[in-house]
Amino acid sequence: MKVRGACFAGLAFCMLGPHALAEDLVSGISQDQIQITSNYAGSDIVVFGAVEQSGSSSTGTRDVVVVVRGPDTDFVVRRKARVAGIWLNRDKITLYGMPAYYYVASTRPLAKIAGNAALAQFQLGLAHLMPERESTRSVRKGEPFRRAAIRTRVRQQLYAEAPDGVEFLSYSLFRVHVPVPASVPRGQYAVQVYLFRDGSVVSAQTTPLFVDQIGLERRLFHYAHARPLEYGLATVLMAMLLGWGSSFVFKRPA
Amino acid sequence: MEIYLPIAEMSVHWMVLLGMGAGVGFLAGMFGVGGGFLLTPLLIFYGIPAEVAVATTASHLTASSMSGAVALWHRRVIDFKMAAVMLMGGLAGSLLGVQLFALLRRIGQAEIAVSAGYILLLGSIGGLMLRESVRALRAAKTSVPLLYPQRHNWIHGLPLKMRFRKSRLYISVLPPLGLGVGVGILSSVLGVGGGFVIVPAMIYLLRMPANVVVGTSLVQIVFVTAITTLLHALSDFSVDLLLALFLILGGVVGAQYGVRMASRLGGEQLRLFLALLVLAVGARLLYGLVITPRDIYAVTSGTP
Repeated sequence: MKVRGACFAGLAFCMLGPHALAEDLVSGISQDQIQITSNYAGSDIVVFGAVEQSGSSSTGTRDVVVVVRGPDTDFVVRRKARVAGIWLNRDKITLYGMPAYYYVASTRPLAKIAGNAALAQFQLGLAHLMPERESTRSVRKGEPFRRAAIRTRVRQQLYAEAPDGVEFLSYSLFRVHVPVPASVPRGQYAVQVYLFRDGSVVSAQTTPLFVDQIGLERRLFHYAHARPLEYGLATVLMAMLLGWGSSFVFKRPA
Repeated sequence: MEIYLPIAEMSVHWMVLLGMGAGVGFLAGMFGVGGGFLLTPLLIFYGIPAEVAVATTASHLTASSMSGAVALWHRRVIDFKMAAVMLMGGLAGSLLGVQLFALLRRIGQAEIAVSAGYILLLGSIGGLMLRESVRALRAAKTSVPLLYPQRHNWIHGLPLKMRFRKSRLYISVLPPLGLGVGVGILSSVLGVGGGFVIVPAMIYLLRMPANVVVGTSLVQIVFVTAITTLLHALSDFSVDLLLALFLILGGVVGAQYGVRMASRLGGEQLRLFLALLVLAVGARLLYGLVITPRDIYAVTSGTP
């Protein structure tokens, strides 16, 4: 799965122009790999960085936006309608290429940082998170479905916005805590850091982040997909033996 | 301690899983039903993806039915010949059901078809059982000995008769075979073992002696659910071995106590309890279809 976010950051670099030299952004993450083990109950990763200023102009607003994007996936969104008293699935729209996980943190509410055009260009904020394409041509028809998908993801804590999540520790040093719940899907993630100056992006950086399962769980997952027949037989055998064995452990009274 | 389930892709506390397994196992042992019609909705309600819940429940049913079957095998109350005939039908039914389910998924109505199927089935069977057991209890109270009426119904007119010694029956193989097909379809479409269909059908339709019914249906469930597990593992990789392990560990313990409880309670009371339970689950499902959903949009991720 390709992480589309990487392309956006690349785009950002191309369009930077002369500002890029004036201000430099350095960022890193506390761990570049999250390993989901059998007792994983969610954790935090820390994204940190510094804004280095080589020029002298320190006037105007300065904002940092941090986005963590999961691997792209497709959402099938169905809308129910009441038919003869019963709720049935009626309309269906597929959103292709939505991130499985999306977290955006910023120094201020995004709407105050930049205009809609800039936010939409880099897909910053849930309002500007768009699928690559939809199964309908009509944007108006697709919009409630897109919003429903985002609403559902927010409920599952897989999408979130933190308008004051970026915290400046000093004039140039910033830090973000990104919660990673246990239900995050596996795959390649991208951590994108954007530096805004007076409402436009002057610097951006992308770092990959891998979420993987390790240990027994990972082996089971691979086993189930690589050798489904053996895996299925093993499960059935385990079930039968446990069932059989239990009746010996629990000897009937007389 | 939370454990991470590799196929369901979520963390769940192991005590919850053991508890669910034990509760459902207890009922399974007590009534001689698989309990899938309770476990599958329970797992989905807890947040396990529906397809994983359905497939993994099947393997749980294999274990809990096995446990119950072994306990009853010692008491020699299983009609293996009857179970084998029904299983042959069950094989054909499972394969048919898998295709039907795939079709329902393609047109996006699988979820509703499953709910509606449950409601129809649970409602009609629960109602039938309730009526019968209330009548039987009333008959017992007025101290009229309830003899199983050996009246000849349409089943006795069918050809291909076979003797089932254990059940003291001499009937055509077609009804048990057809029953097997029906149960096979139900188990692969609704993700249940089908015990709550087999048990009443054996009692009221085939007129098998009540004491043989439970053991025989358990044997049948062991094999039908084993086949279902395999089919799910092969077709959509949705069997979660770790989830199954914890559900089973709870389930086999629960089943033992369920079997003991069953031998303490009378058959009539058992049937009344089962009828009420079946009706309650059906009513809950109906309620779920009729109330206005919190969100009229439903999202599934991944390929449709």
